[in-house]
Formats: sequence, C-alpha cells, structure tokens
Amino acid sequence: MVDDMNEGGPRGRCAPATSPLVPDFIEVDHFGLACGGEHLSGDLFHSRSLEEGNRVVSVLADGLSSGVEAAVLASVTASMALEYVEWNIDTAKAAAILMDSLPVDPVRRISYSTFTIVDARRDGRTRIFEHGNPPVLLIRDGALVPLERTVLGQPRWGNRRLRVSEFQSSVGDRIVLCSDGVTQSGMGTPALPLGWGEPEAAAYALSRLARSPDLSSRRLAELLVDRALWNDGGAAGDDITCGIIHLRRPRVLQVLTGPPFDRARDREFAALVDRPGSRKVVCGGTTSNILARELNREVEMDLALPDREVPAPSAMAGVELVTEGCLTLAKVGQYLEAGACPRRNAASRLVELLLESDVIHFQVGTAVNEAHQDPALPVELDIRRNVIKRIAALLETRHLKKTLLSYY
Amino acid sequence: MEPVTVTICMGTACVVMDGSRLVLLEEHLPERLRGLVRIRGERCLDLCTRRSAALAPFVLVDGEPLANATFESIVLRIEERLAGRA
Ligand code: FES
Repeated sequence: MVDDMNEGGPRGRCAPATSPLVPDFIEVDHFGLACGGEHLSGDLFHSRSLEEGNRVVSVLADGLSSGVEAAVLASVTASMALEYVEWNIDTAKAAAILMDSLPVDPVRRISYSTFTIVDARRDGRTRIFEHGNPPVLLIRDGALVPLERTVLGQPRWGNRRLRVSEFQSSVGDRIVLCSDGVTQSGMGTPALPLGWGEPEAAAYALSRLARSPDLSSRRLAELLVDRALWNDGGAAGDDITCGIIHLRRPRVLQVLTGPPFDRARDREFAALVDRPGSRKVVCGGTTSNILARELNREVEMDLALPDREVPAPSAMAGVELVTEGCLTLAKVGQYLEAGACPRRNAASRLVELLLESDVIHFQVGTAVNEAHQDPALPVELDIRRNVIKRIAALLETRHLKKTLLSYY
Repeated sequence: MEPVTVTICMGTACVVMDGSRLVLLEEHLPERLRGLVRIRGERCLDLCTRRSAALAPFVLVDGEPLANATFESIVLRIEERLAGRA
C-alpha cells in the first residue's frame, strides 16, 4: 500500500491519475474440470511469481489417463519444474531434467506426464518448453502468431521430444495453454468424430477475444473449458484444463470517496473523474453531490433492487458506479474479509470492480461529515480513512492488488 | 394528472435512521394513490447537514422536505398535495 500523504495531502498537490508505480504486468489464471465422475483432475496448472513479479513461470502438466494416479504424476511433474526454477536452475535445464526423469510408459513409449512450461518476463522476454501437450497459442492483436520451435532430442529420451521457443512478447500478448482434454473434446461424437481440434479451439479463442478484447485470463480459460465440455456433451471425457498468460497494461480503478477537507479543492477533486486511463467509482452521498455540482452531471439512482443492508447504487456519466459511503464501504470490507459476497447489491458490485482491477487508487476526501457525528444516530460510523485502509490492506494481502492512497 | 414525486434519501444518515425501508413505499401506498406517485431515490438530500441528522430520515414530496419520514407521514403529505391541486 502506498500512502502518499505528502503528495496528495490536504495541502499537497494532487497525485497522478495513473501512477508510474504501475508498469505492465503479467496476468496468469486458469480454469479446469476433472474427467466425468473423477474428483481429482490429472491436469495441473501451477504458476510462480518470481523476482518481485518481474517474472512468472507457469507449468501445465497432464498425467497419463485420469484419476488419482494421473493427478499424482501431474503434481510431481509441475512441482519439480517449479522447484527447480525456485532454486534458480535455468528453465531450459529444468525442462531437460524433467525429460530425463519422467517415467515412460513401457508399451506406448510416452512420458507418464506431458508438460508445458512458460517462462515469461515483464520486459517481454519469453521462453516456452513443450513436451506432449497441444501446442501453445500465441495471440497478438487478435491473431495467431506462429512460434518458431526448436526440436530437441536426446538418445536417452528415445523418440520423445522437447520443443523450445523463445521470443519477445509485446504488451497485449496472450499465451494460451490447453490440455488435450480441450483440443480432443467431443472425440467420437457424431458432430466431432475427430475431436474439436487445435485450429478450431484457436479460432474459438480468437472469436471470443474479437467480441471482448478485454477478457480476463480467468474468463477466457473458462470459456474454452466450457466449450470443450459442451463438445463432450456435458460430461467431460477427459480432464479439461486451460491456462492463460497475459502481458498487459494494468487495469486501474480510482475510488473517489469523501468530500475534500478544503472546499477550494472540490473542483480539482471532481476533475479526477474525467482523467483518462482508469475506471472510476464514487462512494458517498455528499461526495456524489459535489461531483454532480462541479461537473454539472445527473446522478440517477436505481431502485429496482432494494437491499436491506446496503443502499441502492446510482449511475453517473463517466463513472462505473456511485454508492452510499460508510455503510457500503464497511460492507465491502466484510465481503473481502469473508472472501465472498452473499448478496447482490451495491457493495458486491463494488467488490467485483475492485477485483477486476490490478491497481486501486483511493482518492480520499478527509472532511469530517458532521451529520455522521450526531449523537442521535443509532450506530457509530467508522472513520472513512480507517475503513479505506482496511479495504486496501485486504486487497493487497488477499488479492495481490496494488493499492494507492491519496488524501484531499 | 401529473404524479406526485417522492424523493427518498438513501444517504448514510437517513438510512441508519431507519430510512432504508422507505424504498418500499410503493407497496405501502393505499389503493387510491396507486399510479399517482412517482418514487425516486437520492444519494443525499443534504438535509442531514443543513438541518440535523436527528431529524432523519428525510424525503421530498414534490420538492418539499419532510423530516422524520414514515410511510404514514409520506402518505399524508401526498394526499395533502393532491388535495391542494384539486
Ligand atoms: S443522508 Fe439523507 S439528507 Fe443526508
């Protein structure tokens, strides 16, 4: 949490809308389903963030067949790979050790587990090591980029091969890893006798991205897995897993809450709404009144879904969401603490927006709302600053978000 | 006839002073007022600071503030408005 009291403090100058503290970053997420009837998946997707987030290594391992045995094989393979990397063993070396040590099925002469390792750096340097899984996809600007793969073999590997590619990623690149449960989904069905196939799976990913270019890694993985499950007629014929690595500009959310301490700064505070480069949320009745006045904009409340615990949300041009202040923020804190939103209301919507973002910049007005101090009120309202600090801490520790705080 | 507009405050002070249930006003309108009332919400009517939070919850009936609002007092005020227009 960066608490830049000096920079944005009541007497300081205002903090920049997008901070230099926020370079491009690597978003990794995955989704998977176990083969119909099994509790454990024989596919495993694991990642490790290294060098303070400047480097992420991900492994997709697919154990032979399915069930417990496959799960153990995949798990050993994935953990070995990540352990080596953690011990500072070069990824190329780690991949070779895996090739050396993986047990081989005596009949089919294939490894007991296939694997793909992606070693991605925030500066774009990327290396990929593939053995046996469907080839990874590199998606750039909405199209597939063919990878140049060097095929490595060793006498002791028999006819097993390791494919290595090395390239410079650009911001926006996505690397898609799928287990064969995705590409072979539907195999044997009348619609897809030979299975979905790699080109079709790739085309599907591209079409989803064409429709929504900002899809999160988690969502894209989910869509691919769901589609594969559909191909299988609703019961997975194999373990189905998809992992995605996305090098991108961080999504920044600005949370404006509280009236500025000094009224003379109202205009400057309100102007934050129209700064480009981030989404905005406004929390607080007085705060939204100030913005409505300064920006000459309507605030429209949506009473369609009344909630007993949290006042209804409103809408304002240029802002994703306008909520009440203290009660809603306290509820957001509770939801983040509990790790779940039990109800759909303005607080759960705000939690969604927070979790969809990588960087959250709280712009906190520090004027004390006298009405909240009135002894007639039946509850004691927490000081805004404290609630915000608690939320920021939860976002940092539980959700690995970067948070910034500026005071007005 | 132009409906009477009731603006319900959904600000912190009004909500904690038991104003949150006022959004259900529609359900508490007597039959004769159905269709004659338009209900809106407002983030904060700013009466909590300009007057006193002790008088919350506030609503506006055709723009006129009503303190310590309850379903009954709102209905009464709506009827006064309609009577005044007739
Ligand atoms: S909270 Fe209702 S008037 Fe301010």
